[in-house]
Amino acid sequence: MSFFGFDATLPRDRGHNTSAPGFSQAADPFTGLSRHGDDDGDDALDFEDTYDGLGDQLDETDDVFNDDTFGGDDSTAANGKSVGKDFDFFGQTAKVSGAISEEQLRFSRQQPASKAPPPTSTLSQPASKPARSGYEKYKEPESIPDMRVDPNLWGVTPKQPAPAPAPAASSASGTQAGGRKMMSLEEVEAAMRAQVKKPAQAQPQVPPQQQYQAPPQHQYLHPPPQQYQQNYSQQPHQQFPVQASSPSREEPRPAHAGQPNQQHVQILQRSQPAPSQPTPPPAPSQPTHILQNPNRYATEQQRPAPAVQHPGHQQRHSGSRHIITHPHQLANLSEEERAAFLMEDAKRAKRNHKIFLLSKDNGLMTPQDKNFITRIQLQQLVTATGNPNEHGTDSALSEDFYYQVHNQIRGGPRQHPGQPLSNFAQTYLFQTGGRHGGMRRQARGGDNHMQRMEQQVQRAVEAAKNKPKNKQLVIEGSLGKISFSNAKTPKPLLNIKRGDNGADAHRPNNAARDRKAHQAAVSGSDRKTVLTDIENVYNTLMQMEDHDRQLPPPPHDDIDPELVGRHMDWREKAQKLNQQLWRQLKVHEPIGATAVHPFIAFLSFSKGKKAIPRVFRHITQEQRTTILTMIVIHLDQLDVVRQAQLHSGETLLTAGIRENVELFSLAVMPSLFAYLSEAELDIVSGVLGLILNINIDVISRTRIGVSMLTMILSRAELIKQAGNAKEQEWEQWVSTYNQFFDALEPSLPTIFPGTVNTGEDVYVWQFLAAIGIGASPDQQQRLVVAVKDRVMETVALAKTLPPEMSSQRLANVNLFMRSIGLDVELLA
Amino acid sequence: MAEVDDGASAPVSEPLDLVRLCLDEIVFVKLRGDRELKGRLHAYDSHCNLVLGDVEETVYVVEEDEDEEEVVKTIHKKSEMLFVRGDSVVLISPQAPS
Repeated sequence: MSFFGFDATLPRDRGHNTSAPGFSQAADPFTGLSRHGDDDGDDALDFEDTYDGLGDQLDETDDVFNDDTFGGDDSTAANGKSVGKDFDFFGQTAKVSGAISEEQLRFSRQQPASKAPPPTSTLSQPASKPARSGYEKYKEPESIPDMRVDPNLWGVTPKQPAPAPAPAASSASGTQAGGRKMMSLEEVEAAMRAQVKKPAQAQPQVPPQQQYQAPPQHQYLHPPPQQYQQNYSQQPHQQFPVQASSPSREEPRPAHAGQPNQQHVQILQRSQPAPSQPTPPPAPSQPTHILQNPNRYATEQQRPAPAVQHPGHQQRHSGSRHIITHPHQLANLSEEERAAFLMEDAKRAKRNHKIFLLSKDNGLMTPQDKNFITRIQLQQLVTATGNPNEHGTDSALSEDFYYQVHNQIRGGPRQHPGQPLSNFAQTYLFQTGGRHGGMRRQARGGDNHMQRMEQQVQRAVEAAKNKPKNKQLVIEGSLGKISFSNAKTPKPLLNIKRGDNGADAHRPNNAARDRKAHQAAVSGSDRKTVLTDIENVYNTLMQMEDHDRQLPPPPHDDIDPELVGRHMDWREKAQKLNQQLWRQLKVHEPIGATAVHPFIAFLSFSKGKKAIPRVFRHITQEQRTTILTMIVIHLDQLDVVRQAQLHSGETLLTAGIRENVELFSLAVMPSLFAYLSEAELDIVSGVLGLILNINIDVISRTRIGVSMLTMILSRAELIKQAGNAKEQEWEQWVSTYNQFFDALEPSLPTIFPGTVNTGEDVYVWQFLAAIGIGASPDQQQRLVVAVKDRVMETVALAKTLPPEMSSQRLANVNLFMRSIGLDVELLA
Repeated sequence: MAEVDDGASAPVSEPLDLVRLCLDEIVFVKLRGDRELKGRLHAYDSHCNLVLGDVEETVYVVEEDEDEEEVVKTIHKKSEMLFVRGDSVVLISPQAPS
C-alpha cells in the first residue's frame, strides 16, 4: 500500500502493522520514526530483533514484492546507495510528484472512506506530532473550542500551525523519545530532520494533507483530560477523545482511530510536564473534577457536544476549586508528589468520613442529661455499697475496708463510715463538673447540679436505710427482675458458712478455751500454738479496730440519753475486747513455766512483731508497762538477741536474722521507745534494774540489746536534764546505774560487732555516748580505757578512707567522745 | 459446745484456718502442671487464691534427649510477688524455717 513514492518503507511499515494487529507495536507511532532512521542508515533500534519472527516474515514477503510494486527505480531511490552522482533528480522527483498528486486527488475524493486513514496517520504522525505539542503549548485555552468546532479552519489556513512545529519538534519528540527510551537524542533529531525535509519537499503539493492533519489535532487536544483520568481514576476512558471528536469531524473511522489515539495519549502523557505548564487552567480543571467523581465526569464527557463541553468543564472547574485547593500545583507536581498528594487526599477523605460517622450522634445528650445519668450512677453506687449509716453491719466496712484502715492510720477526713457521704458526693461532683467546667453553665448550673446531686445521694441513703436489702428488684410493669448482683456484690456461687468461733457470741467461750488450751499445751511455744495465738491476736485487733470505727459521735452539750447509752455500750465492748486481746497476748503467763514465754515466742514471729504497734494503740499505759517489762525481762531470750550473737570468727549475721533484727527495730522498738519517752524515772530505773538480773554480756553484744539499753539510759538523761526528777528517784537511778556500769564493764571490749572495717557500729557509739553522759568522771575514765583501742583503730582507719566515709566514721566516734568531753580532733 | 472437742489444739474449725496460720510464713505450694512454689504467704482466700512474696518457682519439664530418654529438667524462676489462682493449687504446706 504505497501512496507516496518518495518513501517506500513507510507503506511497508503500515503493511506490517496492520497485518499484525495483535502486536502492541502495531500501534506504535515510533515504529515509523525508527523506520526512517533505518532508511537513513541509522540503526537506532531493530524492532525485528525485539519481536518474534512473524513480522519479519511479513516484511520479507513484502520486500520481495516491493520491486514488483514500485519497480527498480523505487528500490534504488529508497536505497540511495546505488544511486550515482548522475542521479536524475528531476526525473525521479517528477515521477514521484506525479504519483503523489495522483494519490492526493484520489485521497481527497476518498476522504470519508475508511481506507483513507492509514496513510494520513502515517504521514501526519511524524509531521503533526511536533505541531500538536506546539499548539498545546502556545494556544490559549479559549481557542480550543474554536478549533474543535470548525476543523476546516485548518484547511483554509494551513500555514498557521507551520511556524510552531520546527522549534517544538525537537523538544517534544526528544521528550517522547526519552520517555520511550527507544532512541538516543541524536537519532531522534536525525529522524526529525529527515521528516522535516521530506514534508518540506512535498509541502507545496500537499495542502490537502494538512486537512487530514487537522482533525487528529482534536484528538490530541483532548488527551490532557484523558491522561489525567488515566492517572487518577485508573479508568479506561481512552474512548473519550474519539467520541468527543468524531462528531465534529464526522470521520467514519473510529475503529482505526482508536488505536492511534491511545498511543497519542501515552505520548502526551510523557511530554506532559513541559507543555502543560503554560496552559494550566484547562488541564487541571479536569483532574480536579475527576478526583471528585470520575464516573460523573465520564458520563458527562460522553455527551456528544464538544462545543458545549469545554464551557462545561470550566464551570465544573470553578466549582471544583472549592474542594481541591491547589489544582495548579497538582498539575505541576511530579508523579511521586502527585501520588503522595492523592494518598493524602484519600486519607483526609477517610478521616472526614470517620469524623462524620462519629459526630453523627453529637449533641444528643445535653449536659443536664449527662448529669442525670451521673446521678443515677451515683445512686446505684450508694445502694450497691449499702447504707453507710447502718451501724453494726459488716457490709459497709468490708466494702471499703482498706480505705477505712488507711484513713484510720492517716487520720483522714472520713473517720468512720457513719459520716455522711457528702464529701464523697462532692468529690465526685466536682470531678464531673469539671468536664464542662469553665463553660457558661459553670456559675449557675454547676451549683444547681451539685445541690441536686447531694439531695439525690441523701435520698438514696435514706431509701437504703429504710428499705430491707433485697437481692433483686421487681419494678411494677416490667417483665423481668433487676438483680443487684454486680461487680461489687457478685452473686455468690459458693457460700461457705464460717464457723461460729468468729462470732461475738462465742467470745467468752473462747477465753475459757484459750486458758484451757494453755493448761493442756504447757509447752506454749509449740509452733502451731504460737501461730494460733498470733492469729487470735490479729482477729481481736481487727475487731478492736472495727470497734474504734464505730465510735459514736462525741456527746454534745445537751445530754442525749441515747447517745450516752451508746457510749457506755461502746466502752463496755471496748473493755471486753481489750481484755480478750490481753489474754491472747499471753503476757501474764507465768514466767518460767515454759521454756520460752508465750509472749516472747509470740515476738519471735515476724507477724507477731508486726502486731505490736497495733496492739500498743489499743492497750492502756499500764498494759504497755507490762509489755515493756516482759520484753526487758526476757531480753536475752528474744530471738533477735539470742540468735544475733556474733560468735568468734563471724563478721555477719545470716540474712534471716538480720531481717528479723531490722523488723524488730522497726516494729517493736518505736512502740517501746514512744512509751518510754513518756515514762517516769521510777519506771526507767525499774527497767534498768530488771536488766541487772539478766545476762548483760549477751545483751550488750547485740544490736537490739544495745539499742534497748541506749533507750533506757538516754531517757534517764533526758529526765535529768529536764530537772523534774525527784531527789529520791534520782538517787535510786544513780545507784542502779552504778550497778549496771559495773556489770557492763567486762563486756565493753566485746560490744563492737565485727571488726573495725564493717562500719556497722553506729549504735554502739550511741550507746557509749549514752553511758558516757551519765557516767561519773571515774566511770568515764574506765569507759575510755575499755574502748580506747577501738577509738584509735577507727581513727586510724578513717585516715585511709575517702573523705565522706572518713568523716562519717569520725562523727560516730565523736558521739562518744563529746559525751565525755573529748573530741576526735584531740587524738589526731 | 465446740470447746469440748477441740481439746488442747488451737481453735481450728475449717481447713483454711490452718492455712491462716501460715500467713506471713514461708510456705511450700504445689501447683498443677508440675510446678512448685516456695514463698512467703501474704494472703489467701476461700478459693485458695494465694498471694506470695519472694517466690521461688520450680517447673519440672520432661524432655527427650538424643537417646530418646526422658530427662526431667527443672526451671527455676524467682518473683518478687506472685498471685496464684486457686484452681491450680494442689497443696499448701508450711515450711519450717531451716
